Amino acid sequence: MTGRLKLGFVVQRYGAEIAGGAEYHCRLIAELLRDHAEVDVFTTCALDYVEWKNHYPEGEAILGGVRVLRFPVARQRDILRFAALSEALQSARHTAADEEAWMDEQGPYSPALRDHVLRVADEGRYDAIIFFSYRYWTTFRTLRGSRTPALLAPTAEDDGLYRLPLFRPAFEAATQFVFNSVEERLMLEGALGRPLPGEIVGVGSALPASMDESAFRKRHGILGPFLLYVGRIDLNKGCPELFDHFLRYRQETGSSLSLVLIGRAVLPIPEDPAVRAIGFVDDAEKWNALSACMALAIPSKLESLSMVTLEAFWAERPVVANAYCAVLRGQCRRSGGGLYYANYDEFRGILETLEADAPLRARMGRAGHAYFEKNYAWPVILEKYLRLIAAAREAKAA
Amino acid sequence: MSIEIESKDVDVRKIMSEIRERIAEKKRGLYTDEEIREIAERKLEAVLETRQFNPDFLKDFKTKTEVWNYAFNPETIYKTSRGGVGGLLGTIRNFLKPVQKLFWNPTPMIAALSRQSDLNLYTVQMLHNLTLELTRLNLEVQELRARLQQTEANLEELKKRERALESLAVLKEQPKSTS
Repeated sequence: MTGRLKLGFVVQRYGAEIAGGAEYHCRLIAELLRDHAEVDVFTTCALDYVEWKNHYPEGEAILGGVRVLRFPVARQRDILRFAALSEALQSARHTAADEEAWMDEQGPYSPALRDHVLRVADEGRYDAIIFFSYRYWTTFRTLRGSRTPALLAPTAEDDGLYRLPLFRPAFEAATQFVFNSVEERLMLEGALGRPLPGEIVGVGSALPASMDESAFRKRHGILGPFLLYVGRIDLNKGCPELFDHFLRYRQETGSSLSLVLIGRAVLPIPEDPAVRAIGFVDDAEKWNALSACMALAIPSKLESLSMVTLEAFWAERPVVANAYCAVLRGQCRRSGGGLYYANYDEFRGILETLEADAPLRARMGRAGHAYFEKNYAWPVILEKYLRLIAAAREAKAA
Repeated sequence: MSIEIESKDVDVRKIMSEIRERIAEKKRGLYTDEEIREIAERKLEAVLETRQFNPDFLKDFKTKTEVWNYAFNPETIYKTSRGGVGGLLGTIRNFLKPVQKLFWNPTPMIAALSRQSDLNLYTVQMLHNLTLELTRLNLEVQELRARLQQTEANLEELKKRERALESLAVLKEQPKSTS
């Protein structure tokens, strides 16, 4: 194959409405590479990530200059059945059939997508196919040995799922790995018992031309310093613990700090004047909020990268992260842009330190920004992807 | 790997260890008897406020014994508060004591009320001590919980380090390539 590169992407969902997670990560990379390659994205018609209901029309569409091919989800996820199958996996005596059944229920179940990707991979129509998220049906059923070099961005979290024997063939079929962090690489290499070919890449961000702190404060009537949370307000993201810690901190110290929440709430938010939930906002407003906050809180224990952490680094705001998440802890240490808590006392200690020490906040902000520029600026990410694609093609040709 | 190992500009480990030292210091030196008493009182006040008790009640309870309790001795029922005239009245009452004893026996009542007055004092003292002890235990539980969480976090980190070292051992055996 000569001339312009031809790349395929496989991801469980893809759309302008999806503003986070591996899907957004995939979109940013596809749009980054479209200037250097002909890019096709293979995905499902789902928007909803719980039941994978079909939402987008089947067939071809263009989004952000990228050709998107959507295939229907043939069977929605039955949450109760999925929960029961997940429970079965916890047992040490579960069988390979249990794991297969779990994967089929995990979804999004789209045989049409599987058949298409397997066919184009076998025909060698693409220079490389980049698969996002090892845990979904779309990657699991399509990442197989073929003529086409395969790059896998596992986006693995430290939940132990990657240790299931089920995933081994998919991991073995990847020609190169696109890791999000040092911790993810160590975790997967530890589980597979061998060094894995690839690089630690991560993702950049759609950076703003400017940020307007005062406009944000004026629009939402927010005065004084605040701790910011950005993301789904959910149990799995550690939000209840953040609420408890924060309200206790206010009560015990008499601090005037408030907590501002951005994102869709799927659990009740405490009715306290110090907690402000402003719902879903656009990208520009998110950046304005980042510029206005004292620090960003990331209470989640399971993160494979946390793009908003990187965005806070770029905005020169320190991050207050959950120490139980190895990736976040590592990012804080490597960047110098964040601190991490394992319990309430440490949460309180960190907030007291940050509130009292403006020069430290500024120093951490600068360190985080420099870390972002060095590792997550778009030219750096692009160079790594092109290098990985070349390495995968070379390995396949050998 | 192109990601640098640790930041040179801000030593996060050092900041975290300073924060942890401050927490440990606070735990070691904090909570003198006086502070425990303060905390205990604050909690009691909070309970009283939420149940909408008279806000002066606690203050009176602690300082003005005479408002909520009474001093009682065998002579109390014969005393009067009417000054000079009261003195004469007291003398007459004493003089008539044997007569009134013909109608009823005040001694058990005097004994019961005296004892009740003492019991009231003991009860208050006991409740006060119990509150202090509960607070002390509550603080101890909180500290033990924090230590447990800390131990869990350390254990988790050690596990991760073990896994990382295991994979490094594998890496050493087989030269790594990016292609």
